[in-house]
Amino acid sequence: MSVLVGRKIRKVYGKKSTAQEVLKGIDIEVGKGEFVGIMGPSGSGKTTLLNVLCSIDHPTEGVIEINGQSLRGMKEKELAKFRREQLGFIFQDYNLLDTLTVKENILLPFSISKQPRAVAESRLKELVALLGISDILNKYPNEISGGQKQRTSAARALITNPALVFADEPTGALDSKSATALLTNLEKINQQKSATIMMVTHDSVAASFCSRVLFLKDGAIYTELYKGDKTRQQFFQQIMSTQSVLGGDGYDA
Amino acid sequence: MTLSRLVFRSMRKNVKQYYLYFFALIFSVTLCFSFTTLQYNPSVVEALKLSGTASAGFSAASYILYVIITLFVLYASQLFMKRRSKEIGLYQLIGMTKGLVVRLIALENIVLFILAVGIGMILGFLSSRLFAMVLMKMLEIDLVIRLSFSQEAFKQSVIIFAILLVVIILQLGWMVRRVSLLSLFSATKQADERVKRFSIFQSVMGLVGLLLIAFGYYQSTELFNVEKSSLFKSLFLHMIVILGSTMLGTFLFFRYSVSLIMNMIRAKKSGHLKVTDVMAVTPIMHRMKGNSKSLTLITLLTGLAVGIMSLSYISYYSSGTSARQVSPYDYILLNNQGTEFIEELQHAGIEFEQDTYQISNVMLDISELVSGQLQEFTLNAAESETTVVPLSDFQQIEPNVKLENGDAIITSYVNVLAEVLPIQAGRDIIVNAGETEVSLYIKDIREDNLLSSRVAYGSPILIVTDEMFEKIQLEKNEEPEFTSQIGIDLVDKQDTEKAEEIYKSLADERSILMEENDQSFIQRSYEEVRKANITSLGLTIFVTAFLGLAFLLTTGSILYFKQMAEAEDERESYKILRKIGFSTNDLMKGIYAKQAFNFGVPLAIGLLHSYFAVKSGWFLFGSELAAPLVITMTLYVIMYGVFAILSIQYYKKVVRESL
Repeated sequence: MSVLVGRKIRKVYGKKSTAQEVLKGIDIEVGKGEFVGIMGPSGSGKTTLLNVLCSIDHPTEGVIEINGQSLRGMKEKELAKFRREQLGFIFQDYNLLDTLTVKENILLPFSISKQPRAVAESRLKELVALLGISDILNKYPNEISGGQKQRTSAARALITNPALVFADEPTGALDSKSATALLTNLEKINQQKSATIMMVTHDSVAASFCSRVLFLKDGAIYTELYKGDKTRQQFFQQIMSTQSVLGGDGYDA
Repeated sequence: MTLSRLVFRSMRKNVKQYYLYFFALIFSVTLCFSFTTLQYNPSVVEALKLSGTASAGFSAASYILYVIITLFVLYASQLFMKRRSKEIGLYQLIGMTKGLVVRLIALENIVLFILAVGIGMILGFLSSRLFAMVLMKMLEIDLVIRLSFSQEAFKQSVIIFAILLVVIILQLGWMVRRVSLLSLFSATKQADERVKRFSIFQSVMGLVGLLLIAFGYYQSTELFNVEKSSLFKSLFLHMIVILGSTMLGTFLFFRYSVSLIMNMIRAKKSGHLKVTDVMAVTPIMHRMKGNSKSLTLITLLTGLAVGIMSLSYISYYSSGTSARQVSPYDYILLNNQGTEFIEELQHAGIEFEQDTYQISNVMLDISELVSGQLQEFTLNAAESETTVVPLSDFQQIEPNVKLENGDAIITSYVNVLAEVLPIQAGRDIIVNAGETEVSLYIKDIREDNLLSSRVAYGSPILIVTDEMFEKIQLEKNEEPEFTSQIGIDLVDKQDTEKAEEIYKSLADERSILMEENDQSFIQRSYEEVRKANITSLGLTIFVTAFLGLAFLLTTGSILYFKQMAEAEDERESYKILRKIGFSTNDLMKGIYAKQAFNFGVPLAIGLLHSYFAVKSGWFLFGSELAAPLVITMTLYVIMYGVFAILSIQYYKKVVRESL
C-alpha cells in the first residue's frame, strides 16, 4: 500500500514572462516502510519536490495524496494539523529551538495535541534509547554536539509516529562519523519500526542507506535505483556511476 | 563609488532598517520643538503671567524633557547600530579602514538628523498649537492662540540635537574602534543569555525581590501614620527607604523573580510544554538577563509618570472640591453683612436657594475621640476652639439627622486631619462654654461641609440640639467673631456670571472688620476660589501631563522597538514551528501571552507602584482620590495598549511570513 502518491506534479515560479518550471510533471509513489532517497545536481528541484510533497509549498499542478488524504483544498490550519499528526521533519540545520531542552524539543509536537503524558513519555523513552540520546535529555541544544542535535531532531520527527518522515539533507552539516551514526539509526528505525522515510541528499554514502534512490534532473525523474539484495557497498558504486552519467562530477556545489 | 554615494545608496536600499530610527528621531524633535515653541509663544506667555511661577515651571520641565529625549535617542541609536553590526563588519572585511567606516556612519547620521530635525520642527510647530489650545482649555481662558515661529525655540532645539548628534557619532566611533571584527558579526546574540541551570542564589534573590517590593508597599502605607512611624526618625529617611526598597525590589523581580516563577511552572511540566510555554515562557526566561534592566527602567518610569500625573491631576480635579471647602455654598454672606445681594439676585430674576446658620463656639478636646496610642501625640494640641451649629440649621442640608438632647455630631472631619488623626464616634467628650462644662455623647462623625473656611478654620464643626445650642449661647460671656452665615446656591449655574458680578460689586457691603488684626475680611465666592485654583494648577497639570506623555511615548516606543527586534530574532523559531505543524493561530496564542507579559507586567507593576505612592500622600494635594487616579491610569493603559497592539501586529506579520 502506498503512503505517498504524487501525480503529474508541476511547480512553476515567477510570472508568465519570467516563468521557470522547476518541476515538470513528476509521478512518485512511496510504499509503507520504504526508505527513499532523492538525489540530483543543484537546481534539479530536489528541495522543491520535498517542500511540495510535505505541504510546506503548493504545487502549481498535480495531485498529492498522503495516507489517502489529498492535500489539495486543505486550509492553512488543516495543513498544519496534518503536518503535525502525519508527517515528521529532519532538516540540515537541525532546526531545534535554543530555548528548549532536548526533551522539550522532542516533545514539541505534542504541545498542542492532547496526548496523555504517559503515552508521550513511554514513546520518548523508546526513541531516545534507540537513538542513544537518553543521557542528554535535560541539556540545551548549545551544550550538545551536531550529531546529537540531529538525533534529537530525528527523535522529534518520529515522536508522533508519523506516516511519513521527510529528511532534507540530514547529514549535510555533520562529520562523516556522526553522519554514519545517524544514518545507521535511521536505517534501524526504518527496519524495526517500519517507518517510511523520504530523504533528500547529495551525498552518495547517505543515499546508499536507502532502499530506493530517485535521480532528478531538470525537474523530472531521470532514473531510479533499487537496492534489492545488493550490499551497501555495491549499491554505493551503482549510485556513483549513475551520478557520473547524470553529469556533474559526483558532487555538486 | 564615492563615500557619499555609497551612503545614499545604502540608505535608499535599507529604508526598512532606517525608518524606525528615523521615526524615533522625528518624534523626539517634534516633542522637543513643540514644547519650546509653546514656552516662547507670546500669547501663552501673556496668559501665564497670571500664575507667577509659569516660566520657571516651563523651563524646569523642558530640562526634564531634554533628558528623556536624550536617553531615548541614545537607546534608539544603540539598537539601530546593533542591528547593523553585520553590515559594519562586512565593510571592514572588504578592506575599509575603521576611520572610513566611522566617517560613513557619521555621514549617515548627519543626513538622518538634518532630515529628522526639519520634519520634526514642522510637525512640532503644528502640534504646538494643539498643545496651546489644550493648555488654554485647562486654564479656562478664552484665547485664540496665534502661531508664531520662535527663533529662541528653534535655536534651543537645534543646539540640543546638534549636541546629541555629536554624542552619538562619538559613541559610534568608539564602538567601531573598540570592537573586533568577530564580535561585530555576533553582536545581535550578545544580549541573549545562554540558558543555564537554575541556582539557589537566583531563587533566593528572586524571593528577596518580591519581599522588598512588599516591604516598600507596606512602609508607604505607614508613611503618614503618626502611630508607627517611630521606626524611622525622619520622614525623609522613611521615603528614601521606601523608594530604595521598591526600586531594588523591582530590579530583582525582573532579574530573578520572573525566572524563578517561570522556572517553577516549567519544572512542573517536566518536558511536556504547551504552545504558550514554548512561545512565551521559555523565550522570556531566555532573554530575562538582557531585558531585566530595560524592563525595570520602564516599570519605574511608568510608576513615576503615572504617580506624578495622578497627583497633579488630583490637585487640578480637586480645585472644585477644595474651593467648596473655602466656600461650601456658591455665595456666602457672614454676620448678615451684604444682604443686599439677596435682594439684587431677586431683582435680576436669578433663582436661588438659601440656608441660614446660627453659629457659636466652644472649647473642645478632641483627643478623647482619638484611638488609644495616638493620644499621646495629641496632648499638646488638646483644647481648641470649635464652631457649633444647631441641629435645625444642619437639617437644612441633612433633613434626616435626628439627635437626642446631650447627643452631638462632629462634621467636616476631612483631609489631612482625617487621614492623620482618625477619630471614632460613640464616646463622650467634654466641652467648655464659658465657665460651664457640658458632657456630650458623639453619635456620629460626618464629612458634610457647611461653613465658610474663614468661620471654621478647617477644623471640625460640632452639631448639637437646638436646646443645647441655646444653652451654650447663654453661658458664653463673649460674642464669637461670626454669629451667622447665609449660604446661597444658584438653581441654574448659567446665572453664575451675572451673580458673580453682583457679588463683586457688593464687596464693600460684605466686608467684615476683624478684631484680631484690624483688617477687613471679604468672603470670596466659590467660583472665584475655583478660578484661582485652576490658574495656579492648570499649568502644573499641563506640564506634568506633557512630560507624562513624553515618558509614555518613549517607554512605549522602546518596548515596541525591543519587541520588533525580538520578533526578528525569533523568525527562525517560527519557521521551525510552522514547518512541523503549528498553525499561525497556534503561534499567535503564544505571542499574545508573551506580549501580555512584556507590556502587561511593567505596566501593572508600574501602576501598582504609583498607586501606593499616590495613596501614601494624596491628601496633601487635594480632596479627591479615586476619580482622578482611575482616569489617569485608564488613559495611560489605553495609550500603552496602542503600543502592545502595534507590536502584536508586527509579530503577526513575521509569523505569517515565516514559512
